[in-house]
Amino acid sequence: SFLQLQSKNIFPVDSIDDLAPDSTYCFKVQANLPMEGKQGLFSPISCVRTTQKVTDLLCAANLSVLALNMKFQLLWNNLGNQEVNYTVQYLHGFQKKLNDHSDKWRSVPSCENITSTCCNFSSIITTTGFYYLRVQASKGHNQSCFSREIRVEPLKTNGIGPPGVRLDLSDALLHILISPPGGAEDEIMRDHYDLSYRILYWKNSSDKEEEVKQKEVKQTIATVPDVSPSTLYCVKVQAFSELYNKSSAYSQQQCIHTPAGTSLPLMIFGIFVGALLVVLLVAAPLVFVLYQAYNKIKYVFFPSCQPPLNIEGFGAQPFSSPYLAAAEEPVENCCVIESMITEEGNQIDFTDYKHSQRSSRDSGNYSNDNNSSGSKGSKETLEKEII
Amino acid sequence: MNAFGLIQVGLILSSTTIISSLQCNHLPLQQRKVIENSLRLLDKMGKKFPQQCLREKMPFRFPAQVLQPRQKETVGVAIEEIFRHIFYIFSKNLTLTAWDGTALDQFQNGLYLQIEQLEACVIKKHTQHRWSKEVSRLKLKKYFQKMDCFLKDKQHDLCSWEISRAEMRRCLQLIDKITRKL
Repeated sequence: SFLQLQSKNIFPVDSIDDLAPDSTYCFKVQANLPMEGKQGLFSPISCVRTTQKVTDLLCAANLSVLALNMKFQLLWNNLGNQEVNYTVQYLHGFQKKLNDHSDKWRSVPSCENITSTCCNFSSIITTTGFYYLRVQASKGHNQSCFSREIRVEPLKTNGIGPPGVRLDLSDALLHILISPPGGAEDEIMRDHYDLSYRILYWKNSSDKEEEVKQKEVKQTIATVPDVSPSTLYCVKVQAFSELYNKSSAYSQQQCIHTPAGTSLPLMIFGIFVGALLVVLLVAAPLVFVLYQAYNKIKYVFFPSCQPPLNIEGFGAQPFSSPYLAAAEEPVENCCVIESMITEEGNQIDFTDYKHSQRSSRDSGNYSNDNNSSGSKGSKETLEKEII
Repeated sequence: MNAFGLIQVGLILSSTTIISSLQCNHLPLQQRKVIENSLRLLDKMGKKFPQQCLREKMPFRFPAQVLQPRQKETVGVAIEEIFRHIFYIFSKNLTLTAWDGTALDQFQNGLYLQIEQLEACVIKKHTQHRWSKEVSRLKLKKYFQKMDCFLKDKQHDLCSWEISRAEMRRCLQLIDKITRKL
């Protein structure tokens, strides 16, 4: 005989399944405080011997859970091939922590007293939490048997279904539109799993094997650039959750045919010529109109023709007006003077009048009166009168 | 001849195998979901805060510094400890409250799964050890102990429960805000 030590975390009231028949098993229990990092001492060892294997044909056996996109189904076998009524019961996981939880089991609605060996229990499932399920088989009023319990952790047990795929083409781009598993209305899958998508795409040509390319995205839209024209492209997508290490099956293959494309240089040349024509058609009249406008403005405000030559000075001194008083020219003081014979016999010169006055006596016609003794004095008086 | 001595092993349930094969990457995301759900369920399980209980307000002061420890990794473990305390408090006698049993069960269930999963994550083991040495951890324990004594003194009547529920709501909202920032 050889010993193999096994350890298991258990609840205060628990059961250990799958023991071999007709064997002796020994147990010891240790209490822990993991948050404190403390471990207690082991209890004394107690041993028990298992009996012969007895299969009660009434009991439901081989319980299994099938879950896809948060729709949960419990399946079991009816070993006895008899008319048996089943009731599926569930327990909130934490209630196992209570010492006596036998009264806490509740029936799954729509799975009470059924004859089929499957039950849809999605209605009792919430994403945060875990559950235990068991099947009560009953025949008549006195025979009843509880199956083994099965533990269900919704997010871990659940399977991710394949996503939906749609393809679209624009220019030289292939657009892949992904609809998440569970449908657009159901946010649970996206919310809890933090889904990513793995896209496989390849050129489907009958003659040669093309390389399958892979792309991983987090969004529900992906683009494949530079697709070749006149080619059949095929795509299939898989949803996966890195956090839960789960991936879905691949979606149905979707294919699309790219249109026959024009050669690129020809297209570029065509665009260039078109742009050139547009520029010419638009730019030429514009330039013409601007030139005309410029000429008109120049004609009106800055005329280039010259005034006639006989109007001299016209325009030469734009601010000089012929009507303004000119600078005073030296004007001769003219007056009629009778010719005088002076003692000296000097001829009176008009231009030098003042000068000559000094040397000659005056006639007396204009001398005033005072009979001043000096000739100078009377001359000065005369000067004053005139001026 | 019997099959005595041959102990069949269906699955090798040695603890090291279980822990190393467990994946802990999903825990932070799951934690955020548990907090969101718990807030929703706390609202759902009872009605509006009764007016007559306003007189009995007890000034609990949540030690917010416990969510800003020196090492960022210990925040996750601190939150798990808070979950543990909340779970423990809500396991008490609730018959006088007449709250929605389903909502309460779901609330407890969410907290418990999270607590259990963290315990099993060996990656967090050394972080747990560091956390157990944190000073603010004692303040946290004192806070919840105060609430426990308060409930006991009032014999778990409706007002004491409503006050505790409002306090737990405040506490979870603070945690929610912190985890969104991370």
